[in-house]
Amino acid sequence: MLGFLARRLPSVALMLLVTSIVAFLLPRLGGGDPALVVAGSDATAEQVEAVRVSMGLDRPLVVQYVDWLSGVLTGDLGTSLISNRPIAQLILSRLGSTLELAISATILMVMFGFALGILAGSTRRGVGRAVLDAVLGALVATPPHVTGLILILALGIAWRLLPISGEVSILVDPATALSYLVLPAFALALPQAGTIARLIQARMYQVQQEEFVDLARAKGVPPRRIAISHVLRNSMGTAIVATGIRVGELLAGAVVMEAIFGRNGLGLMAVDAVSSRDYEVVQVLVLGAVVIAVVVHLFSEMLLAALDPRIRLDLS
Amino acid sequence: MSAGGTSTARPVRRVVYGERLRRYLGAFATPRFHAGGGLLLVLTMAALAAPLIFPGGVDQQSRDSFLPPSPGHPFGTDELGRDIFVRCVYALRISISLVVVAVPLAMVVGTLMGLAGAVSSRLGDAFQRLFDIILGFPSIVLGICIVIIMGPGWASLAVTIVIFSLPQFGRLARAQLLSEMGREYVLAARVLGVGKGRIMLRHILPNTLEPLFVQMSLSMIAGIFLEAALSIVGLGIQPPTPSLGTLLNVGIRYVYAQPMYTGGPVIMLLLLAVAFNLIADALNAAVLKTRSEA
Repeated sequence: MLGFLARRLPSVALMLLVTSIVAFLLPRLGGGDPALVVAGSDATAEQVEAVRVSMGLDRPLVVQYVDWLSGVLTGDLGTSLISNRPIAQLILSRLGSTLELAISATILMVMFGFALGILAGSTRRGVGRAVLDAVLGALVATPPHVTGLILILALGIAWRLLPISGEVSILVDPATALSYLVLPAFALALPQAGTIARLIQARMYQVQQEEFVDLARAKGVPPRRIAISHVLRNSMGTAIVATGIRVGELLAGAVVMEAIFGRNGLGLMAVDAVSSRDYEVVQVLVLGAVVIAVVVHLFSEMLLAALDPRIRLDLS
Repeated sequence: MSAGGTSTARPVRRVVYGERLRRYLGAFATPRFHAGGGLLLVLTMAALAAPLIFPGGVDQQSRDSFLPPSPGHPFGTDELGRDIFVRCVYALRISISLVVVAVPLAMVVGTLMGLAGAVSSRLGDAFQRLFDIILGFPSIVLGICIVIIMGPGWASLAVTIVIFSLPQFGRLARAQLLSEMGREYVLAARVLGVGKGRIMLRHILPNTLEPLFVQMSLSMIAGIFLEAALSIVGLGIQPPTPSLGTLLNVGIRYVYAQPMYTGGPVIMLLLLAVAFNLIADALNAAVLKTRSEA
């Protein structure tokens, strides 16, 4: 396992390094002078210069980068120049809403992805195959925001079953909170679940062609047992990695979901920060999103390596 | 094939390539392709001819806001009494123009980057690392970064779509390259002393094109959805210009008063998705068919 980690580490480290550089440069690339923002519009040139020195903006970029990165690594995320509050505090105040959405969507994604994938992988012909293929095709082809809008129109407007805008904290009133979560979580989860299911289905078809399945059949192992302990077991690796890859897109989808469903989470915070040119906030959120996506992906690969010695020992 | 004689090599290749193209064209002339292509043609023509069909333009107002759908206003009217159907058709112009410019550009650049390994394996590897990094950025996060650098609008959306699509083509081309590199015809060309660049462009590239066209169709619909996503949150096209995303951005606020304000653009998005997916399906089936015959 350590050997596997050592092999994967260089590319993960490169990814994190590049992302941190991009995030660091965002405020500089965005235009606008932070010192000017802090000093105010009626400050004299000397005052602006003094602010620039006090903020450390006169130092070389590399020094500023190391300073910013070491701050982020030790938990000092900086201060928003617009609201003048610590960014960590701003993020904490919005974190709950996004966590509720992301966790419930991840649970639904895994549940539906695995269930549909296994169902589709063990249904090879007839009407069932056609129906499942059509359902998976529709799920994959419709991204979260369009799925969300369709759900709003169907379940929020045509049948007024569920609330379509706003949120309640799950800690305050769990039942109401869930009713607000249902639509955005499903909208976010279903397209990713479709993709995961497709990958599991393809992998299961592939495994069914293997000789050990023929052997099991020849030995008289019951079909259900072949499906579960031979085919499914050898398809789990694909399922796990597929799930790991989709988490990044799930986070991206959450940004749009929060805008559509009127939820005050981190995604909306990022969008508002871009509009108000509060780039110090955006850079932390961009870094956070990519780091989470990369780490989850790495974690899923480690899980796969733990399950499959061929990957762990690089034999395949 | 005689050594080095391009005059003898060329007709042979032309015959083989023409035969291959003919078989490929024959393979995707299916009902599925005609349905998808026809639908896309209708949508594109409507978008192109919008100023002729609706000479009043996107801002023509009637006296009544939030009229329900009727023969005169198929999708009803919006908060200012403008016809939502007309605005949806005009919005297609932005969606289609974006992907028609951005995706082929990404295809050309991405494919060349993916095939670069044929010329220099170090360069090829470097491009693959670059693709890994781009893929690490979730689509909306990538869009946010580009918007900060370039400001919101058509151009930053186009750049976002290009960067977002690059790895899809690059990785596909790379996979093709790796499977073609071991083939006899590449070895034969190398033995004959054909240059690396020429092998990449004249020998390997023609054999990798068909799967890239499938990807082009899929990347186009992905680009259209990305425009919608970024414009819905306000980081794409800016109102009052109608794009499918900006219409939804405003429409979702009035979803109780005028459900078709949201429904209209969604219908357009779904029609585009159906068209592009049917085309991709047909192209993919054609690839599988020609591969199995070859």
